[in-house]
Amino acid sequence: MMTPENVKAYIQQGLDCEHVQVEGDGRHFEAVIVSKAFVGKGALQQHQIVYRALADRMDAIHALSMKTFTPEQWANRP
Amino acid sequence: MDQKVLDRIRQTVTTHDIVLYMKGTPQFPQCRFSGLAAQVLKDCGVKDYLAVNVMADREIHDNLKYYADWPTFPQLYIKGELIGGSDIMKDLFDKGELQKLLANVSAQ
Repeated sequence: MMTPENVKAYIQQGLDCEHVQVEGDGRHFEAVIVSKAFVGKGALQQHQIVYRALADRMDAIHALSMKTFTPEQWANRP
Repeated sequence: MDQKVLDRIRQTVTTHDIVLYMKGTPQFPQCRFSGLAAQVLKDCGVKDYLAVNVMADREIHDNLKYYADWPTFPQLYIKGELIGGSDIMKDLFDKGELQKLLANVSAQ
């Protein structure tokens, strides 16, 4: 079974992240991801970048809820 | 990946202005993210849209991820373009942007 630690590791392997947080119950996961790769991209593209980083592992991840931030957005969050 | 199924998906999203691929139906969603997506559309006042139950169509279930390079359900398409899943829909709704996108559709 996939753990939040697994998901976090896979995201970090596939993407240069400043910060990753993952919570979940083994099927549904919630991730907060901060990466320079998101700069200049809309939410759809940002999520697609993460999906690509996870690639085949998505078969084992039933659902992934994501909040994506650029480093600047993360630093300025309320 | 089955090109015939991808063609079928293209046909669907280009002939219907608003398409929601979801698990279950708007009345009986089979997953809370799909339920959320249907609820968001309801809250936007959208009455006329095509809901496709991916649990009832194995080919769509297995091939949709290749169409717009998006591996999860639900998926909302407006005028043939993938808008996103339930996270993005909720976010756009909270910002008032989803309502604008939908208003552009019915204005035509």
